[in-house]
Parts: sequence; C-alpha cells; structure tokens
Amino acid sequence: MGDRTVGHAPSLRESIVGIRHEYHGVVSGPPVEWDVDSPVQAEVFVVWFDGERLQLTGPDGPQPWILQLGAVEHPVEVVDRIVRDVVGPPILVHSTSWRRDRDAVILSFVVVIDRELVGGMASVPIARAELTRSEATAAPRAIATSAVVEHGLRHLAWLAQDDPVVAAELPAGWRPLLAEYVPEPFRNLG
Amino acid sequence: MGAETQFSNRCACGWEISGSEEEVVDATIDHGRRIHNMEATREQVLAAIHHPATGAEPSSETKAG
Repeated sequence: MGDRTVGHAPSLRESIVGIRHEYHGVVSGPPVEWDVDSPVQAEVFVVWFDGERLQLTGPDGPQPWILQLGAVEHPVEVVDRIVRDVVGPPILVHSTSWRRDRDAVILSFVVVIDRELVGGMASVPIARAELTRSEATAAPRAIATSAVVEHGLRHLAWLAQDDPVVAAELPAGWRPLLAEYVPEPFRNLG
Repeated sequence: MGAETQFSNRCACGWEISGSEEEVVDATIDHGRRIHNMEATREQVLAAIHHPATGAEPSSETKAG
C-alpha cells in the first residue's frame, strides 16, 4: 500500500485564480489536471444567509462548482441530486443564466441552502458587482464570475417578487437583502 | 524491495490525490462521480495519469525494482 494522500490544494485562492502548484517529487510526474469536459455543464453557486450578509460557499469553497451534464439528464435534477448528496437538502435550486465558456454551454445555478448545512465549507461574503452586458449583436468577450453571481441574485430578486413558491421558500432575512438587487429574468450572459 | 511507484491526480476544483496507481484511479473515479457527476472509466483515468498533458512518464527513481 502506498502513502496515499488526498485533499485539496493548500491554497483555495490559488485554485480560484488558477495558479499551478509546484510538482512534488515523490510522485510520478506533474499532477494531471482532471476536469469536467462535457459539452453542457452546470456551474453551481451555493448561497446562504449568515444573519447579516449573503455568503458564497461549496464543497470546494466559494469557487464555481462545476458539474457534468449528460445528454439525457435534466440539469435541475442533476444539480439538486448532487447538492443533496454532497452538501444536504437545498432550499431552492434555480438556473439563472447561460453562457458559452470552457468549450461548453454553461448553465449557471443559484442554490440556496440553510446555514446549518455550511459546516466546514469555506465561504466568502458576496459583494456587489457590475454586470457584463452584451453588445447589440454580440456576446461579451469575457464574463467575470462576480458578474454571474450578481446576475444570479438579481434573478432570485425577480423570482422573489414574481414566483410565490420562491417567495415562500426563501428563509427569513433574504427578501430585504434581495430587494437591494435590480430584478432580472433568466438571460444569456454571453 | 523498491518503493512502489506513486501517482497523483488533481482536479480543476483543487482536490488532489497521491498514492498507488489503484488508489489514485479509485479516488479519482469516486471524486468525479460524487462531486462533478462525471462517469470516468478506469481506462480513462489510467490513460491520464500515465500520459499527463506534459508528456512526462513515471520517474525511474520512483519505479519499483
């Protein structure tokens, strides 16, 4: 039996910004970069309310959580199942936008969870961000993750006003926070 | 008796695994399935860890023997 080690890269920030880690000499070579590569992918933003602010989290911290979507799988069912298995039962699962990225079509989801499910998952407060707007006949060339989250919360703000199920399910404290966002429906971000 | 060759794999999400070939393959398949809804075969993982993008082969210093 070898000396098995498993875990996450030492720095979450480095993972988020894409800095590659040094090769460790005891292994056979530079670590393989393993990644989701399906033509349609889900990008999940797990959001919770800490009593004052909305926080972004996930099993790998606040970075976008990427899921593979098979040809015959329903995206919402996949996101609900994986979140339920890994994090716990979500309160809301909503697709909020789509865009072209990572050589795939990316469906972005905002998933609302109860604060009791956060456990040891790293979180960061969600800051307001500028949206990336399309040109008249072309998609924007680059879209920051913060802009995707901003639009996701604007979409949730719209649902909180328009969808009685969402309005009923949102935990206490969410609606006043979402009221600060400009409501927007689902849309193409690029 | 030489040391067993060690392999490693890293997911783009930051998760890492190091260990024997079998451990790395099993853990990678489990991580992909549970966290990313990926269904990778043993052959796919083996191909990746034996032929990483850099083209590096297992070091002779770490091969058994």
